[in-house]
Amino acid sequence: MPAETPMNATPEPGSDDRGLGSALRGTPTHQGPGDLTLTSIVLFTLGAYGVAAGAATGQEAVVAVGVFAFTLFAIGIVWPIVSIARLHVRVVAPTDATVGDTVMLQIEVTGRAARVDIRALDPPGTWWRTSAPAAGTMPHTAARRGVFGSVRVQLRTSAPLGVFVRTRTMRVDLGAPITVAPRPTVASAVLHPVPDERVATGAAQFRRSGGDTVRAVRPYAPGDPARLVHWPTSARRGEIAVREYEPPPAHGVAIVVDLRGPRPEAAASLAAGIGAATLAAGGVVWCGTCEGGMQVGDTVSNARELGRRLARSVPGAPARPPRDWPVEIVSA
Amino acid sequence: MSERQPLREAARPPSRGVASSYRIVAVPAAVALGAVGAIAAEHANVPWVVGAFGGALAAVLGVLALPSIPTRRATIVLLGLGGLAALRHASYAGSDRSWLLVIWAAATMVTLVVVDRADAETVPALEGGAPLPSRVTETARVGALISLVVIVAAVALVPTVTARLGRHVWPGLTPNDNDLASSPSSLKSSSTLDLTSRPRLSDAVVFTVDASRPDFWRGETFDRYNGTSWSSSSNPDYQPLPSDGTRVLVDPPPYDVGAHTGQDFRQTFHMQAGYSDVVFAAPSPRVVETDKLLWQADDGTLRVAGAGSDPDHFPNSGAGFGKGAVYTVTSRSLPVTEQQLREATGPVPVAIAGQYAQIPISTTPRVVALAREITRGRTNTYDEVKALENWLGDNTRYSLNAPTSPRDVDVVDDFLFRTRLGWCEQIASSLVVMARSVGVPARLVTGFVPGSRDALTGRFVVRERDAHAWAEIYFPGIGWQGFDPTASVPLAGDVKSSGSWLTDARHNAVPLAVLAVLIVITIAALPEVMAAGRRRRARRTSWSAQALHRLERAGRKSGRARTPSETPREYAEVLARRLGDDRLVEVGATLDVALYSARGAPDEARERADAVLTSL
Repeated sequence: MPAETPMNATPEPGSDDRGLGSALRGTPTHQGPGDLTLTSIVLFTLGAYGVAAGAATGQEAVVAVGVFAFTLFAIGIVWPIVSIARLHVRVVAPTDATVGDTVMLQIEVTGRAARVDIRALDPPGTWWRTSAPAAGTMPHTAARRGVFGSVRVQLRTSAPLGVFVRTRTMRVDLGAPITVAPRPTVASAVLHPVPDERVATGAAQFRRSGGDTVRAVRPYAPGDPARLVHWPTSARRGEIAVREYEPPPAHGVAIVVDLRGPRPEAAASLAAGIGAATLAAGGVVWCGTCEGGMQVGDTVSNARELGRRLARSVPGAPARPPRDWPVEIVSA
Repeated sequence: MSERQPLREAARPPSRGVASSYRIVAVPAAVALGAVGAIAAEHANVPWVVGAFGGALAAVLGVLALPSIPTRRATIVLLGLGGLAALRHASYAGSDRSWLLVIWAAATMVTLVVVDRADAETVPALEGGAPLPSRVTETARVGALISLVVIVAAVALVPTVTARLGRHVWPGLTPNDNDLASSPSSLKSSSTLDLTSRPRLSDAVVFTVDASRPDFWRGETFDRYNGTSWSSSSNPDYQPLPSDGTRVLVDPPPYDVGAHTGQDFRQTFHMQAGYSDVVFAAPSPRVVETDKLLWQADDGTLRVAGAGSDPDHFPNSGAGFGKGAVYTVTSRSLPVTEQQLREATGPVPVAIAGQYAQIPISTTPRVVALAREITRGRTNTYDEVKALENWLGDNTRYSLNAPTSPRDVDVVDDFLFRTRLGWCEQIASSLVVMARSVGVPARLVTGFVPGSRDALTGRFVVRERDAHAWAEIYFPGIGWQGFDPTASVPLAGDVKSSGSWLTDARHNAVPLAVLAVLIVITIAALPEVMAAGRRRRARRTSWSAQALHRLERAGRKSGRARTPSETPREYAEVLARRLGDDRLVEVGATLDVALYSARGAPDEARERADAVLTSL
């Protein structure tokens, strides 16, 4: 299994460099330095009129009023810019999520600011108010499948005068990348006999329930269930002996996920749905994908592992399934 | 008992549209508009309290009573209007008005901070984030810093930005016909001064003066008296003074010793009135820095040259000083003591005696007799003048409402022997005429008293009502010295009340009427205000509304207000995590049941929820 890679390195689906859950690629978000408000227009007008009229008529008080308005205008612009520039943000996200989940991001804002609003982007979330320094939790929707090593965060403030709303967008590297699995669609389990004994013996549920054919009788070992005691042999040998069954035939499916098509997300969701249903029914699942340009194929032991595999999947030729396995090809 | 109440109604803000965080905005906004309203009212000759109250009321109504307009927008528009009013009336700032401007500025700044803070509070708090600093802390910190920057900017930038500030000469606006017509007579040069008409004296600022000390700002002098008016024998014999375009050298009148050997005193005049062709200055001007061409009479009176006097060299001249004009005068006078004046007993120059010591033809014998009687036994000019001054102070009263004298009688005689009630012109005329009656050279001077000193700018603010007339007495070897007999005369109102309460009420009819209207509006609005309070309380009478209100209050105290989209259950769960109190989850569930279930919440559940909410 390939190692998880911080996905801001390669701009591909499933390895997005735009941050957590950027489902709406190209959706415009506020990137500019900020917005002037009605207050700024009023102050600038008063300042210009006051200075001009005062200079023309020689009325110092009028000039003073104009200078006062201009000063408020200037402070109202400079203060938020300086305030935001001094802030730094750290974000810690959970390692696993599913598309559509609300992820709780641990936010730490350092620096000093009396008032600042913060939100996560991709997609733009709700603004949350705090002062800095502060640490808190910010909910954010994981909107897109992939492995994300960073998240885009936006800070804004208009403090203290509301003259200028300074907005700053920053990309924050996550301590550990978050893997966003596709949301499984509702699907039926696919349980066909699997010829690979190695896989079958690895399936714990089948091993616990046991098969129908007794393969041998062996001495009792602690932990063996009482229903397996073979009483005739035990009486004959003078020690407790238990039956040992042949492993049952494995059931399951090999899912080949081919995302080279117009609807890769739907395909990934379908693969997740089939795999999750099969695993829930006790079957074994082999998953063949293309991850980071490499063909990857292996069994998965649980739904989380399947989700991680599918999260890393990208369009490309998937791995070929094992020989004689029942195959379910899911293509976009 | 079942209780079903729509959540939206239960969660509605208690006011009719204005969120609680915005209500505090009304306070600084009211102060800002009240301050600027007070300045505007004074400018309009209305008592300042009326303007202050009107401005404050407008601010409160604008912020609180316009729920259909976002509070922030309404507030900013109000502040903008206040700023325009401040610009319009700022020039009217006097010693007290400039502090009103400071109050306006401070309140405007606080309003901006508070309204932006209120805006910020509408954003939900970050879970676990740091609460905002208190309003007072934030406002004080921001206010201190901004005040510092504003002061530095005002000191450093104002002269630079405006260029003209700090200069001693500036042409100002060119006066038009309107300015000429509306300018008070005290600012226009005139050949006569009629004592039988009452002067117009409003509170309008006519000019401000940068000077190191107060002085009487002398305009014109008069030496001829005909019983009802004064005139100048110099007029129209004005002579143009040499000028290089920015500086006019004044030739001092002969025998004005102080103008030759005295100490210099520099004053800069900033015209606020629309027109003036009189060059006001402390006596006696020697240099005038101005771009205008000036004329001088032989008694030393200065005026701006008439239109068309020399347009090639003085394009800005010919129309008098307009609004914004600045000129600087360097005067020279001899500082003297009472003793020096008493010892000034030398011979009076013939020219001075011939022009200024003649008894006016209209003077009645009894005026002369009275003057001689008052000065009997005095051995020097100074004591004689002081005796006359003291007599006027003891026996006459000052009143601008004094009856005017008939045309066919001598005004001084009428004033001294019949009414003994008059204003500065009658009082000063009496001193001049009585001084001449005992052979002392004297003349009447018109101009302005120093005015009030602006606490911020340090300038003397001179208003129309500061127009004044006083006497100048000639002392041999010293020159002309001013005497103000009016200062010795008590005000007529000091003796007894001028009238009944009805008279007082009539004088204040406009403010009283405004006050009455405001009282009627307040009384009329009171039932509606009380009804709104009752409705607000009624909304909280149900258990669910009360409990939700208590939950929201506890949440706000912890720094996490409820967002509009949160149901009570969700909000309670958030608070449970935030406060580490799992019991709040049950409170939220109970609230949901109480709000939406047909049966309502069980009594036991309510009691448990109440206990939890009480313990928060």
